[in-house]
Amino acid sequence: MYRIRSKFYKKDDMIFISHLDLVRLFERAFRRARIPIAYTQGFNPHPIMAFATALGIGISSEGEYIDIEVTEKIELKEFMDRLNNVLPKGLEVINSQYISKDQDSLMAIIQFSSYAVKIILTEKIDLEELKDKLNSFLDLKEIIEIKEKKKKKSYKKSYKNQVQEINIRDHIKHINIVKKEDNQVLLDMLLATGSSGNLKPETVVKKLQEKMELPIELDKTRVHRIELFKEIEPHFLTPLDIATLYR
Amino acid sequence: MKKIEIQDVLYKVEKPARYLGNELNSIHKEVDGKMIRYAFCFPDIYEVGMSHLGMQILYHLLNTLDGVSCERVFAPAVDMEEEMKKNNIPLFALESREPIENFDFVGFTLQYELSYTNILNMLNLANIPIYSKDRDENNPIVIFGGPCAYNPEPIADFADIIILGEAEEVQIEVLDLYKKYKEKNYSKSNFLKEAAKITGVYVPSFYEVKYSNDGTIASFQPRIDEIPTKIKKRIIQDLNETYYPDKMIVPYLNVVHDRVALEIFRGCTRGCRFCQAGMIYRPVRERSVETLSNLAEGLLTSTGYEEISLASLSTSDYSNLHDFVKHLIDKYSEDRVGISLPSLRLDNFSLELIKEIQKVRKTGLTFAPEAGSQRLRDVINKGLTEEDLTEATKKAFESGWSSVKLYFMLGLPTESEEDLIGIKDLAYKVVDLYYETPKEQRGKGLNVTVSTSTFVPKAFTPFQWEPQITLEEIEDKQQLLKKQLNRKNITYSYHDAETSFLEAVFARGDRKLSKVLELAIEEGCKFDGWNEHFNFQKWKEIFEKVGMNPEFYVNRKREYEEILPWDHIDVGVTKKFLIKENEKAKTAKLTEDCRINCSGCGMNQGFIGGIC
Repeated sequence: MYRIRSKFYKKDDMIFISHLDLVRLFERAFRRARIPIAYTQGFNPHPIMAFATALGIGISSEGEYIDIEVTEKIELKEFMDRLNNVLPKGLEVINSQYISKDQDSLMAIIQFSSYAVKIILTEKIDLEELKDKLNSFLDLKEIIEIKEKKKKKSYKKSYKNQVQEINIRDHIKHINIVKKEDNQVLLDMLLATGSSGNLKPETVVKKLQEKMELPIELDKTRVHRIELFKEIEPHFLTPLDIATLYR
Repeated sequence: MKKIEIQDVLYKVEKPARYLGNELNSIHKEVDGKMIRYAFCFPDIYEVGMSHLGMQILYHLLNTLDGVSCERVFAPAVDMEEEMKKNNIPLFALESREPIENFDFVGFTLQYELSYTNILNMLNLANIPIYSKDRDENNPIVIFGGPCAYNPEPIADFADIIILGEAEEVQIEVLDLYKKYKEKNYSKSNFLKEAAKITGVYVPSFYEVKYSNDGTIASFQPRIDEIPTKIKKRIIQDLNETYYPDKMIVPYLNVVHDRVALEIFRGCTRGCRFCQAGMIYRPVRERSVETLSNLAEGLLTSTGYEEISLASLSTSDYSNLHDFVKHLIDKYSEDRVGISLPSLRLDNFSLELIKEIQKVRKTGLTFAPEAGSQRLRDVINKGLTEEDLTEATKKAFESGWSSVKLYFMLGLPTESEEDLIGIKDLAYKVVDLYYETPKEQRGKGLNVTVSTSTFVPKAFTPFQWEPQITLEEIEDKQQLLKKQLNRKNITYSYHDAETSFLEAVFARGDRKLSKVLELAIEEGCKFDGWNEHFNFQKWKEIFEKVGMNPEFYVNRKREYEEILPWDHIDVGVTKKFLIKENEKAKTAKLTEDCRINCSGCGMNQGFIGGIC
């Protein structure tokens, strides 16, 4: 058995398909591309593949990752060509590498995502004022987001959802203003992603609007994921960096 | 025509992948002015419509034709409809994202009666007048077809053309004729007059219905010369020769039937007396193993699907089922392609076959005894004994299954309380059989689901004259069963009585119902097949407003002499045969499978020569 880690992008119309749709799409793509993928045992065999993290509907990305297992070694170039040949427009594998069997899963590795976030302002604000507001936002010790933890469906126990308060400030590494044109602002964010903390850019934008009373049209926020990282101080490494480093 | 910008709207709606239109194997043709554009509409949401095999066949077939471009249209979900209205977006075809109001044809498939309001709502959203008489040369030709078209009268006023029977050939003939007219000076009425002469084409506006004082039909006559008084359905003679796609569109979303569907044969020889499909799809015609093997290869490689379903009305009746299934297992188990065999009958339930299939992928088990007692099963000519059922479930439990679904109908003609108790007895017996199975053989966690739906009498069945039981009776019977089936491991689920009532109205309704439907969409009725949208109170008010009595269609016993709304349609099965079968039902007499003994339904006179 061999493991392949691949980086791919998800853009154009493909941003509108859900994570589960994407999983199915890849399963079928591997079959059509005649890639010797390994299957799980049991009554409902599935191709052995694992993604780094789910991307929300409507979000584009050039930094998505998938690990798969194959039963026989295949040339990486051929692997990518065959797969890209059957993937729809908007999905493309841009880099693949073999990784050793004992490497941590993508899900275990990743800690941060970088995003480009476009927001639309409904009123005129000059750049300096915006910068000030962003800085005071980042100076806050606590930014509390109330999260409802949905319980699994149960017919006996109560339906009440648990409510959890999360200080999302801890999950923000940085936010910068990249540029501002008229009412359109482009932000660069580095936010926690993964099992030890997960923060969506949309939540940050919502909090920015709330706490700083910024006139943001939330509906029109557009998010693009750039890359996934693990922090090994002083560096931020991508899942493929790690694959190379620990080969 | 200009493409509609839907990007912004997609951010706002649930499951935007419903509206993308660029799924694997979808066809996007270059369109010029000469191209005949066909919008194939399914009057329900994407996930339901994309599960429909007929659409996949016709979509790919029409797109094989030069000069024809066929695109898909589904009923937008409620949130999408709101956004479309807010943004002045008319109903558009998925592939081109262009409005369908400028297409040449808008075709709807009629799969169930409760989708009729969706058809009209979709025409509204497309800015196309709903009534045929209000549409002119600038509007698309509106075509209906599909199983409900065998009694098309409740929606006849909305159609320009209704296609009866299997559409593969006749649809192309209609398009060829249209092409000729489009090149000359196109006139809608001249085109329709010529189209009405094609076998399988029914143009409702050329026929006049007169009613008696009691509301029944007095006469049904053509208004013009040279068109048939009785309109004959179309069938495909040889399934091996006819078109079947080697590609299927693979949705992004998880749709209801998300797998390759391979139709192995058409028709059914069993002759169950409640079953419309068993009558209207006669005669039986099979595809050869060779044809099927080639199709399976093409479909699996072009889709990458992990499952293939062998579709038919009664899969176990296919002559070479073992050979074909074995071929599929040998060839595709390496790729973990599962095989599903829906509509397996108990009496020749082949356990070995199922066991083979399970080695690749496990599936659920559904049995359909339809009725609880032997007497009632004989009334409906199900031809299935209790031993068949117990043998099959016993074997299933021994092979490790622990989950079984039993399907029944409530309100079948002559049904009594005894028959309902029979349902309970069967379910209990199944539970007992499980516990009698040695622990090391049976699976864990027994789950027996009993599910009932209400019998809806349909056109062209031996029960077409019979009333549906009243709403009160339906609810009483459901409650009785609910009490009876009170045992651990048994789950009872039943179909909403009121939807079955409305279904019964339209299943055997006449043209007078068009004004009910017209008012229904004005009142906002749509997605009536969906519990969360169905509003029965509103429907009752609508019937009252137009001064009609729905019970007239639902609960009235009809006489053999009465002119039925669908009598002008010839499906091959004769009225004489249907009467004979209905009479036999009254004394619970069985009719043999017509593969064993021809039951003289009439199919072999006029549709096919000699024997079936």
